[in-house]
Amino acid sequence: MTAESVLSIQGKRSSGTPVRTENVIAASSVANIVKSSLGPVGLDKMIVDDVGDVTVTNDGATILKLLEVEHPAARVLVELAQLQDEEVGDGTTSVVIIAAELLKVADELVKQKIHPTSIIAGYKLACKEACRYIQNNLTMNTDELGRDCIVAAAKTSMSSKVISIDSDFFANMVVDAAMAVRTSDGKGGYKYPIKAVNILKAHGRSATESAIINGYALNCTVASHAMTKKITNAKIACLDFSLNKEKMKLGIQVLVNDPAKLEAIRQREADITKERIEKILKAGANVILTTGGIDDLCLKYFVEAGAMAVRRCKKSDLKRIAKATGATFLTTLCNLEGEESFEPTYLGEAAEVTQERVCDDELILIKGTSARTASSLILRGPNDFYCDEMERSLHDALCVVKRVLESSSIVCGGGSVEAALSVYLESFATSLSSREQLAIGAFAQSLLVIPNTLAVNAAKDATDLVPKLRAYHHSSQIKTEHSQLKYYGLDLIEGQVRDNKKAGVFEPTLSKLKQLKFATEAAITILRIDDMIKLEQEPSKESGYQQALKSGQLG
Amino acid sequence: MLGGGQPIIVLNQNTKRESGRKVQLQNINAGKMIADVIRTCLGPRSMLKMLMDPMGGVVMTNDGNAILREITVQHPAAKHMIEIARTQDEEVGDGTSSVVILAGEMLAVAEQYLEQNMHPLIIIQAYRQALDHALEALKDTLSVPIDINDDTQMTEVIKSCIGTKFLGQYGDLACGMALRAVRTVATTDESGRREIDVKKWARIEKIPGGAIEESCVLDGIMINKDVTHAKMSRKVENPRIILLDCPLEYKKGESQTSVEMTAETDFTRLLQIEEEHVKELCADILALRPDVVITEKGVSDLAQHYLVKAGVTCLRRVKKSDNNRLARACGATICNRTEELKESDVGTQAGLFEVKKIGDEYFTFITKCQDPKACTVLLRGPSKDILNEVERNLQDALGVARNLALEPRLVPGGGAVDMAVSNFLQQKAKGVSGVRQWPYSALAQALEVIPRTLAQNCGANIIRVLTALRAKHASGATSWGVDGEMGELADMNKLKIWEPLAVKEQVYKTAVETAVLLLRIDDIVSGSKKAKDGGEGARLPLTWEAWNKRGNLPKNIVH
Repeated sequence: MTAESVLSIQGKRSSGTPVRTENVIAASSVANIVKSSLGPVGLDKMIVDDVGDVTVTNDGATILKLLEVEHPAARVLVELAQLQDEEVGDGTTSVVIIAAELLKVADELVKQKIHPTSIIAGYKLACKEACRYIQNNLTMNTDELGRDCIVAAAKTSMSSKVISIDSDFFANMVVDAAMAVRTSDGKGGYKYPIKAVNILKAHGRSATESAIINGYALNCTVASHAMTKKITNAKIACLDFSLNKEKMKLGIQVLVNDPAKLEAIRQREADITKERIEKILKAGANVILTTGGIDDLCLKYFVEAGAMAVRRCKKSDLKRIAKATGATFLTTLCNLEGEESFEPTYLGEAAEVTQERVCDDELILIKGTSARTASSLILRGPNDFYCDEMERSLHDALCVVKRVLESSSIVCGGGSVEAALSVYLESFATSLSSREQLAIGAFAQSLLVIPNTLAVNAAKDATDLVPKLRAYHHSSQIKTEHSQLKYYGLDLIEGQVRDNKKAGVFEPTLSKLKQLKFATEAAITILRIDDMIKLEQEPSKESGYQQALKSGQLG
Repeated sequence: MLGGGQPIIVLNQNTKRESGRKVQLQNINAGKMIADVIRTCLGPRSMLKMLMDPMGGVVMTNDGNAILREITVQHPAAKHMIEIARTQDEEVGDGTSSVVILAGEMLAVAEQYLEQNMHPLIIIQAYRQALDHALEALKDTLSVPIDINDDTQMTEVIKSCIGTKFLGQYGDLACGMALRAVRTVATTDESGRREIDVKKWARIEKIPGGAIEESCVLDGIMINKDVTHAKMSRKVENPRIILLDCPLEYKKGESQTSVEMTAETDFTRLLQIEEEHVKELCADILALRPDVVITEKGVSDLAQHYLVKAGVTCLRRVKKSDNNRLARACGATICNRTEELKESDVGTQAGLFEVKKIGDEYFTFITKCQDPKACTVLLRGPSKDILNEVERNLQDALGVARNLALEPRLVPGGGAVDMAVSNFLQQKAKGVSGVRQWPYSALAQALEVIPRTLAQNCGANIIRVLTALRAKHASGATSWGVDGEMGELADMNKLKIWEPLAVKEQVYKTAVETAVLLLRIDDIVSGSKKAKDGGEGARLPLTWEAWNKRGNLPKNIVH
């Protein structure tokens, strides 16, 4: 099957069915890796990298990112998980599993001599139909269900993670944090920039002693011990330059004739910074945050003025603080006239700025910011790995909450949507007389992989549970009096089918829609491949420069 | 079905992957192995371990954290266990051995259920539930409040903490020192929040030589420096101290400057300016009539000359942290520009400035401070290794004293509280529904490892002691535990062995949460990127044999 080098290619070429089969197997092996982490009874993976650093995680995207997947088709799935992570933030494991299953059934169909393009057409149709069905029939409006359902959605997202047992505690925390960063988008709606939720980790204590702080926590300490540790009615200046002794930029020289002038230069150097500080303090600032350094010689002025000065803050932190407090993030004190000045309007305001001790670290907390609220989560746990995993889990949950709040629409989790879609698409397929019927049927079949995997992970009998679930959904779709049954999903702890609307297992609609769309797209991408050319690395290791030298270009 | 049966390579071939039951058991084994390493370090009859680091240095200790920090392990789960000792050390400063032993035992008791095909999550749920109940019991019924201003009571608690350590022989001395150091640095800020930062304000200085009994807490600061000039006076009573963090010498400007000299006198003029500058600096300082000037930077010969002439003693190149402590102890403000020195910047609270020669080194003592908010703990001892161990012990004692000052509640020690909680959980287990009951009561059993290890370490008959203890607790005597010296049962109320509640709580929390994290893992992928044996090594089960082979076996030495 390997073509002899008709084309002068330095490498291997393979085409036809073997390529497709190979791709499908690669894809399913990737899915197999993450499969066991799906669902509330999924387990974690421990990944050790070459330097021996350990990561313990349950997040599909993180697992795949840390594994070095080499196979090109498998890489598509890895990127798929990454995409889902960026777009939605949750459901990364599911999307990979669905995509792999779609490929597997498609491969079967191809082996039955159905052309890939008709499968692709069928998949596209099925995906479109499925999305339409979700939006029309399966969604619920969060406004009717209230805060409880948002908390429930966060809990669902956490249920598979290490913090599942304390999910009540963390879900409320996450919802509070997300609510705190709510900002209006100017069109009557609200946005929830979850990046404004600052997550800090400190090992020690136990997970349930994690705390939400109404304000911004900064992982820095005041520059001098003599400074006050608490300021109420803080006026905050955010600076992006150092308050060091002023010195000339590189390459600039000052030539003096009179030796006495040398002393003047020295004096001036120290004075420039002093004047700057005086200007800032005069404007009323009592908390000065800077990304650069502060010279020891300047600290005294702050101490005497009773101000807090913090050096070497992270730029991203400062930008957010500037936003939250209404301060102007200054890169220089120069104004348009070329003079140095500091206006009181540049200052941001906060009710309180304190330095507090958490674990062995000191943190600066900015509470009661004026322009918009900010929130920070301080995570505690037995060791750093635990904290890292908590952070990832909370990030996922925050994303879910954000999506739910922004779109205010949710669907039931626990395999409910997939089962409903599967039943619906099967009946939809029979209504078509074209060639796509088979592909849509296959699509319907492959969606069942989610409830199946959930049941298998929970060590429950999938062959028993999934048909039961399908039966419920079937009757909900044909009998109007049974329409409430469409919210039924799996209860994996007890191994039963139950009403997941009542049980409070929710996922954002957006997450489900994107999962289907991304998985279908990825499957199609891989299905379209029928030829693979692997180029071998060129033996020449000479650098461009040497080549150029040889060919005489540099003569 | 594949062309030629060629395997399809999806992952990087250097990575190794293991999953399922095997991984779970491996993790448990790694946890147990680490716990076994420091099992003998618990209790008053504990042994020291001697560790050799790759550089040939020797560490002799029975501090759980110090041991685990030194040994290099490769199994990722074992790394977790080591991390928790560190967390414990940073958070409360004591109980590092207990937490590792307990976490190891919790993993060990889970093993049987995994073998019986119980889902790890059920075990985890049971563990968490048990933890909540245990913490409740600790807080509500088993702990007693303590008056932190009562010296005798406080001393007892600290004593039972360091009773297990090398410093135990000097119990009273060490307790007094720890207590005094913590009281010295304790401050209450405006909002009434207590702040005790031992690390920052109490420095432990070790001077080899002398006897351990000569160690003490100074009512001030000691720094390892001599006066800069031989003629400066080495003893000043009620000194006026000025602290600086600027050099007393001519410092060039930061900008690049070059001087074009035209006249001959220009060069002399330049030198003159430098001298004048130093003279000005000294004049500024002398205007405040200080007795001692201490700076973080250098002092030029010229400045020394001026200072000697004015009868001022001068120290140079003091560490920033020392300077901060000095400022707190003697009430001075650290100054940077001499022209801005004010009367209020001068520290006057110190009673005595003295330079003493100990061994062949000079040490500066600034003592007899009124209300020092910082202090130096001076340790003396026969050798450096012993001093290091004494320092670690004292750190633990400081940790205990600090915890007590922050949360003044106690639980009985000597394994009594563990037994009581275990007993309490066993009772509760009967009310737990479903399969969870088994792991729940297993956790209760795991808690018995503390009294068991105590009994084991002092060579008692474990089974007899433990059954007797169980019987005692069943009859409601919750303060009975194992007397780690004799291996007999004893009432901890009478023996006066106490532990701070904060330490015990942290031990339980950390141990359970670590066990939970390790039990959740069902897949280990290791060695991504590296082609060498690192990937393989990472998955070697941690055994003594394997360690032996690699030659990094820590050797036990009876001390």
